[in-house]
Amino acid sequence: MNFEPLFTIAKAKGLEAIQVYLEQDGKLDLEVFKGNLEKHEMADTAVLSIQAIYKGKMGKLRTEVIDLDLAEQWVDELIASASLIESKDEVFIYEGSDHYESVEGLRQEALENLSIEKKIAMVHALDDKIRQKDSRIDISQTFYGQVRKRVLIQNSKGLKLEKDVNNAILGAQVVARENDDSRSAFDYIQSNDLGDFNLDDIANQCVEKAVSQLGAQSVPSGTYEVVLKNSASASLLHAHVSMFSAESVQKGMSKLVDKLGETIADEAINIVDDPFRKKSAKSGAFDDEGVPTSYKAMVSNGKLTTYMHNLKTAKKADTSSTGNGFKGGISPTNFYIEAGKTSYDEAVQSLDKGLVITDLQGTHAGCNPISGDFSLQASGYLVEKGKIVQPVALITVAGNYLSLLKDVTAICDDLKMNFGFIGSPSLKIKSLVVSGS
Amino acid sequence: MLDKSLIERIINKALDSRADFAEVFIEDKKSSSITLQSNTVENAVNNHVHGTGIRVAKGHNSVYGYTNSDKEEDLLALAEDLAKSFPGERVRETITLGELTRGESHAIKRMPNTVAMQEKVAIVKRANEAARSYSDEIKQVSASYMDYVQDVIIASSESIYVADQRVRTRLGIHSVASDGKDMQSGFNGPGGHYGFEFYETFSVEEAAKEAARIAVTMLHADECPSGTMPVIIDNGFGGVIFHEACGHSLEATSVAKNASVFSGKKGEKIATPIVTAIDDGTIENAWGSANYDDEGRKQKRRVLIKDGVLTSYMVDHLNGLRMNESSTGSGRRESYRYQPTSRMSNTYIDNGDSTFDEIIQNTEYGLYAKKMGGGSVNPSTGDFNFAVMEGYLVKNGKIEEAVKGATLVGTGKDALLKVDMVGNNLLRAQGMCGSVSGSIPTDVGQPTIRVSSMTVGGRKGASS
Repeated sequence: MNFEPLFTIAKAKGLEAIQVYLEQDGKLDLEVFKGNLEKHEMADTAVLSIQAIYKGKMGKLRTEVIDLDLAEQWVDELIASASLIESKDEVFIYEGSDHYESVEGLRQEALENLSIEKKIAMVHALDDKIRQKDSRIDISQTFYGQVRKRVLIQNSKGLKLEKDVNNAILGAQVVARENDDSRSAFDYIQSNDLGDFNLDDIANQCVEKAVSQLGAQSVPSGTYEVVLKNSASASLLHAHVSMFSAESVQKGMSKLVDKLGETIADEAINIVDDPFRKKSAKSGAFDDEGVPTSYKAMVSNGKLTTYMHNLKTAKKADTSSTGNGFKGGISPTNFYIEAGKTSYDEAVQSLDKGLVITDLQGTHAGCNPISGDFSLQASGYLVEKGKIVQPVALITVAGNYLSLLKDVTAICDDLKMNFGFIGSPSLKIKSLVVSGS
Repeated sequence: MLDKSLIERIINKALDSRADFAEVFIEDKKSSSITLQSNTVENAVNNHVHGTGIRVAKGHNSVYGYTNSDKEEDLLALAEDLAKSFPGERVRETITLGELTRGESHAIKRMPNTVAMQEKVAIVKRANEAARSYSDEIKQVSASYMDYVQDVIIASSESIYVADQRVRTRLGIHSVASDGKDMQSGFNGPGGHYGFEFYETFSVEEAAKEAARIAVTMLHADECPSGTMPVIIDNGFGGVIFHEACGHSLEATSVAKNASVFSGKKGEKIATPIVTAIDDGTIENAWGSANYDDEGRKQKRRVLIKDGVLTSYMVDHLNGLRMNESSTGSGRRESYRYQPTSRMSNTYIDNGDSTFDEIIQNTEYGLYAKKMGGGSVNPSTGDFNFAVMEGYLVKNGKIEEAVKGATLVGTGKDALLKVDMVGNNLLRAQGMCGSVSGSIPTDVGQPTIRVSSMTVGGRKGASS
């Protein structure tokens, strides 16, 4: 699509600069439940977001009716929107950079070329493997989701960038049942490389997790040493990632304000934001503002080294954008705690009396990303003298995320990325307050 | 919006297969939102959602596709692609749609597109000023205004051809209080199936002060002790406990798959006899109301639990086939991008006999959860968790000190059987409910209730 006619009208009506962001998505979603193909969805959509500067203010609109005959109406709406803005913050439409990293392999055509029938067969095969694994598996739900995303950013300052990415996720949710007790578990692989979808791995992981939780009991309330499993740690990091956003910091909504250069975590902790990570849908050479992305250490040996910036927050802080301007705000790309050297098994064996937390529920409500306080429903295992002695459920763990990062005593080698491309290895934590029986 | 003959052609193209059901959901939704933060209007955005979803099924097996193209060839090609999942001889006769029926309830007095943007801006400014004036400790306020007009046409091979217009608006106030060391926040978000006249039905200032009051109260609260204790959950948004712990487990989405703790329990006692619970999508101008569900069936009032006995699930068309039950008009979805499934509308525990004072006075030691935060539930196990936004300890029948950081944990079926007092002060509050068919507006509600024993998680360690 060519948006030059829109830019011409915009200029004639007095807009100082205008930028379009066009995203076209092709999707396929499959789900097998108890052996039946329960969900089979396909979609082709396009969404156009436009922003324009009028009298120094940014007007915005979003539309799914993408028809250049509406250009004049769009420009009027943008002017109306800009006219309401009171914020004195400087606004930006980016002229582009001399250098954009060349990121290979964002789209693997083989992923799209594999026929729908074969993908359906793959989801069925995963379901079969799971149900054959253990007779206590009562419910299995397996799924495959694939997306191809094409992005065009074009503006009146001559910037024109395009990106074409694809990615898929294959996973399963299972419920194990024994007597009157049922326990669920979830596992997945996310990649754009068909070779990565190892059905046995997913089947083993989620069956083992669900079955081993059968008979889970609460434990007495108290303070416990904890191994926080990679996926649980990732979901906790995810809930607190806004702390690292310069927007939260500048608005006084992050406890990391004024902490640059200071130790905020155990000195073994390194947290990175990596836009070039392979096989990730979040990877790319530029952000939604058209700014080049960059690999950066957020926390280096426990010290906070930078916040995530977009053009606006960078200007305020007299620094450069870190290429984290996404969806009108600030988001990470692939954001994770770097793996350490301890194996997960070693970490568990090193607990004299403690808990392994494999799952945290309700992180959207039970975490306060401003203060870092959290109180969450958890499940996992009780460990005594290095051995798992009992599955544990219906407990809550409570603490503060920044204190937790300082209380890390070992970092495992099992980095796992979650759905939102935020990841962590398993972490051993000195102590957490547990409320149980 | 697409014309009748094109809709008929899409349906018939989809039924050119062994499929026995085809449905077209056409949506055009215009929304506007304004956000204010740090005393200034920061954002004003219009959003135009426009697209069509096509669902094709054989029995309860369905395929779904959506696009935002209005082009005949794209829509027919999608219908044909979907039909390919059910190859074989056609089983349905050619479908002809009847007359289009339009929903007439939930009248709107001031359509959002007839109200000047400046008037909408004035609402967030009033909210901001009121929240800030509550206390010097309020350091940050963000206020957001949102309205939308969603026009839908729903047509299916089940003699359905209806149009509905959902007009909704909501004000959200988020306040942050700080004393320099600690920060706490409070939220309040009134909304309804209304146009701009909504803002004449309540005091914007009072709503904003409520968000500020919670933040300031929690700033001075001690950490909540942990342990097992009676929990008194207040009216209004306290109903989120029922919504999460029981409501989701009564949706056919999980019941039909036998994945709910309440599967196969109709007619059985699942709660104490003082509990009656209702899901009512017909309440005049309520946030979760509409004329039709998103499968084109009339919204209804459903009694889910009557005097402790499970009387009805919430059922959508396809899950109904699986369960051998009729739809209860509960098929809902966020937009054309989602297949509908059974969802709640305005769900509440009905009034009981106790007064608020009686409930407090009869509690020797426990937690009074005055304002609930969000929560979530695992529908297969019924395990739930809720954050308490504003809580107090109750000692010897009196409300004592405020406590922060509490989480309530339990399972839905146990909690229902432990409700031992139900108040007479029913109140509803608004929320957004996220599930498989997207994020939809729902009311939660209840009078003040007491659960005789619940696990309370807090940072203060075990209570003595």
